[in-house]
This record gives sequence, structure tokens and C-alpha cells, in this order.
Amino acid sequence: MTTFATLADLPARATPVAQPVTFPRLVAAEWIKLRTLRSTWWSLLVGVAFLPAFAAMRFSSISAVPEAVGSPYLVGAVYVTSGVALTQLVFCTLGVLSIAGEYGTGQIRSTLTAAPRRLPALWAKLFVTVAVVMVASLLGVALAWAAGTPWFERTGMSIDLTRADDLRILLGVPLYLGAATALAFGIGAIVRSSAAGIATVLGLLLVLENGLGAVPWKPLQTFASFLPASAGNRLLQSDAVGSVITTSSTTTLSPWEGYGVMLAWVAVVLVAASVLLRRRDA
Amino acid sequence: MIEATGLTKTYEGKVAVDGISFTVRPGAVTGFLGPNGAGKSTTMRMIVGLDRPTAGSVTVNGRRYAEHRAPLGEVGALLDAKAVHGGRSAKAHLLALAATHGIDPRRVTTVMEETGLLPVAHKRAGTFSLGMGQRLGIAAALLGDPRTLILDEPVNGLDPEGVVWVRNLLRGLAAQGRTVLLSSHLMSEMALTADHLIVLGRGRVLADAPVAEVVERARTRVVRVRTPMAQELASALRALPGVEVAPTGPDLLDVTGAEAPEIAQVATGAGVVLHELAPVQVSLEDAYMQLTATEVEYRSGSPDPVGDRTSPTSRTTRTTGGAR
Repeated sequence: MTTFATLADLPARATPVAQPVTFPRLVAAEWIKLRTLRSTWWSLLVGVAFLPAFAAMRFSSISAVPEAVGSPYLVGAVYVTSGVALTQLVFCTLGVLSIAGEYGTGQIRSTLTAAPRRLPALWAKLFVTVAVVMVASLLGVALAWAAGTPWFERTGMSIDLTRADDLRILLGVPLYLGAATALAFGIGAIVRSSAAGIATVLGLLLVLENGLGAVPWKPLQTFASFLPASAGNRLLQSDAVGSVITTSSTTTLSPWEGYGVMLAWVAVVLVAASVLLRRRDA
Repeated sequence: MIEATGLTKTYEGKVAVDGISFTVRPGAVTGFLGPNGAGKSTTMRMIVGLDRPTAGSVTVNGRRYAEHRAPLGEVGALLDAKAVHGGRSAKAHLLALAATHGIDPRRVTTVMEETGLLPVAHKRAGTFSLGMGQRLGIAAALLGDPRTLILDEPVNGLDPEGVVWVRNLLRGLAAQGRTVLLSSHLMSEMALTADHLIVLGRGRVLADAPVAEVVERARTRVVRVRTPMAQELASALRALPGVEVAPTGPDLLDVTGAEAPEIAQVATGAGVVLHELAPVQVSLEDAYMQLTATEVEYRSGSPDPVGDRTSPTSRTTRTTGGAR
């Protein structure tokens, strides 16, 4: 017990090699981890590309219907952001993979050995993943806007950021996709398996929410409108047009209330994930 | 310095580590020895906080691992060679680990050089052989220049050159005053590398002593005698108190409880010619087998799903539960 004296033999260093673990350092580490995987870049590329591709597709198809010009359903912001329905699937997959992939490969043991308090590592990873997705989403929206512009005149549509609805819908894309990614991340952290996580998230978004919303029974449809994606994508809806993401049309939520409901889901899932991360053996 | 007190881990009612207490001291290589399923890896995982102890505690340099502000500067751990995302390059893996502790990227280059990883720095870790994976794990363990190193079977999958390299590396680190805890099922490797042994069996400490002492304590002093008159000598020796004779061949006897000079005396008295009279060297492995023998016999009655294997280098006829 008194043999620490032998440590004096260690080569003396002015500053120790390893500095204390801090949240910014964990964020820096997670950023390195995210950007050094090819799958990250493929996901971002595909997710971003869906936005201009879908915008161009929908504009070109509606431009073939000249008699539609002037219809209240032709909302430029909605047409520009219509690719979100597909982009969310890609980014949610990225959200699941960024955490569940660590369990599948064993990387989690390195991660948690370097950050044994665990929760800061989880939040750092969440922060980096969501931030990257939001930046990519914003880029995607800009590209989609650019892609739709050539048809604006012919279809009578336009985007004007001084119009509150246009601004909300366009900025709603990074907000909505960031929240959806955080939800997927939380689910990935709970199930700790890429396959199970992706299946759960896609099952929720594609099957459960759409399925419940499609059942012609009002109480069920109202309930479905409170599910995360249905509630959250109120942010992307124009009052003139229904949801482009789910079939749910029965909602009493305002856009920001809907987004608030989605964030509440995200919070619940992340709290569950953090409790489990602290309790379970890695 | 690693100190465990009453450390216990139970998985779904099965006791993996059973209230063990031990101290791993700096300045020496301590070997963690025991058959597979003895609790070595579980204990190591509890030291770095990957597994939560069911009871008891373990500290590193006076604190629980998670309470250290810069854990990688306290402990470098190689728990398995696959604690890395296969899609990331070796260098990116180490850079990310370094970033968590504000470690200079030049240090990453240094440890990669030390572990021979520079030529494969940009190759994805998923393409690595087991040996290269072990080198990457060792590089990660060295990254924070830690005072304590914990390595679970580090020579697994290494080529003979790599085995010697690890041995010298660990001996060098211990000589600098660091604490080194190393597990291995290769007894011969332990004999060359470790100064001190902690032998585990069925989750308990069977021995905690310097290597030489473990061997000495388990020594049974067998003397091998070759003689054409085996029967005559056997009956003459059996007349002595405490002496046991086991014929191992037509002209071979294994004598326990009597030293070589004593046997020679008896042989001369009985007019028996001796062709060979040799005290059998007790190896570390034999000592280990004897230590764990009772554990194994005790174990063989109870179903134990944990996979076990007899050491491939085993030279004794005793089995370590190979029948299970």
C-alpha cells in the first residue's frame, strides 16, 4: 500500500498525456467517429438528395396539369419539402446505426471505457448526430428550393420567407428531421441492435402511424395524430394541404403543439435510453 | 494499484465472481490465471466499470474507475480485440479515443509506431487479423500513458515475434513502476512474463502469491525411478511410512514422499539395480493443474454452461473438466 514511491520511476512529464474528459472533448471524439465511417456519408448523401429530387419530380408532374394553377392546394413550401417523407427514413436509419452500430461491433466497450460515466458520451453522440442531420437537412431544403424554382412561374407557386407559413415549413424540415433522428437514436440505444432498431423505427413510422391513421374510426385517428411523426410533421403542413408524411388527417394540434408532442416522445425515449445505459452491463 | 474487496458478480442467479479480494501492486506483472469461465474477464470488466459488481467494490489507484477525471490516464485496458468499429480505420479509431482525453494526435502516431500499426494505419479495422486487432487493442491501452494496464489474453492470435514483443513490453512497463495485470490461459507464457500470480477457479481466488511460491507450494516431489526390478523396489519402498509408489510402465515407478537419496539407499539395501533416478520438475502448469484440480472435481457435479477447455499445452493426465 505504500509502494507508490516506485511510480517516481515513471518518466516525468510536464503535462500528463491524458487530460480530463470534458463534454466538448466527447463531442470532438464523436464527430471524428461519425465522419470516419463511410456509411455516414452515404446516408447523408442519399438523404439530402431525396429532397431536391422529390421537389423536382412533384413540380414537374403538377406543371403538366395547367388547370391546377391557382388552386389553394398548390403551396410552394409543401412541394419543395415533399421529399422529407423519404429522407426521414434514411436519417432515422443513420440515427439508429450511430449508436446501435457500436453495440454490434463492440466499439461501445472502447467508448464507455474512455467515458465511464456513460451519459455524457450518449449526449455527445446524440448532439453530433442530430446536429449533422440538421445541417444536412438545411442543405437539402436549399437544394430543393433551387430545384423547384424553375417551375415556380408556370405553376403559380412561390416561396417567400417573409410569409410565416413558408418560413415555418422550410425551417421545420431540419427541426422535424432532427427530432426524428433523435427518436431513432433513442430507440437504437434501447434495443442495442442495428437490425432491431431499424425495424422498430420503420415499423413505427411506416406501419403503426400510417396503419392507425388509416383506420376509419375517429378516436383511433385522433390517438394516431399524437404519435411522434404524425404530431411532429404538423410543422411541415400547410393548413390548406394535409400531411405528406402520414395519412393522419384528424388533428387538433397546431404546428408548434404538434412539434412539442413529438419532442415529448423524443424526451421519453431518451430518458428510457439513458436509464438503461446506466443500469446495464456494456 | 488495483484493489478488489469482496467483488461479486452474479448473472441471472449464476455466480461468476464469488466475493474475491485481491491487490495488484505496481512495479510488477501480475498474472491472472484460471480455466475459462473462472471469472477473469468478468473481474477485468468490473475493474473498468463495463460490468457493475453485484456486491463488493474495486478501485484503481484509490478510486473507482469511473470517478477518475481522466480514466485513460489511469488505466489502459485491452479486454477484447474486437472493441472497435470494423468500418473505421485504425488511426481514426485511436484519434477518436485520443480526442476524449485531449490527447495530442502525435501520441496516436507514437503508439501506432510502438505497436507496429503504422503500415496499416488507414486500413479499416474490420479487415484486421486477430493479431493486428490485438495490436490495435494494445495501442489503445497505451494511448493515455496509463499508470495501470489491464490486458485480457493479449497474446491471443499473435505470431511468436509478437508474443515476445508483448512480453518485453509488459516487463518494461512494470519496470517503469506501472501496475500490469495480465490474464492468460497459457501457463508457459505466465512463467515467462509474470512475477506474481492470482489463480482463479470458479469465481474464487485459489492462490495469490509470487510465481515461484505457487510452484513451490504445489510441488509434490515426484521421483521417477527406472529399474528392471520394479516390483522388488516397489514393495521395499512401500514399507516406508508416507511413501506412495505408482508404476507407470514395466520398468518405471513414480515415487511420492521420498527423496532421491532415500530411494537410492533403499534400492541398495534391497539389492535393486537402478537405471534412472530423477526428481520430476514441477512446471507452473502442473502446479496450476493441481491448484484447480479440486475446483474441477467439485465443478464436474454441477451443470456449468460456461464453455471450458483444457489447456492445449497440457502435459498432465489430469483433466480440467474436459468431460463436460
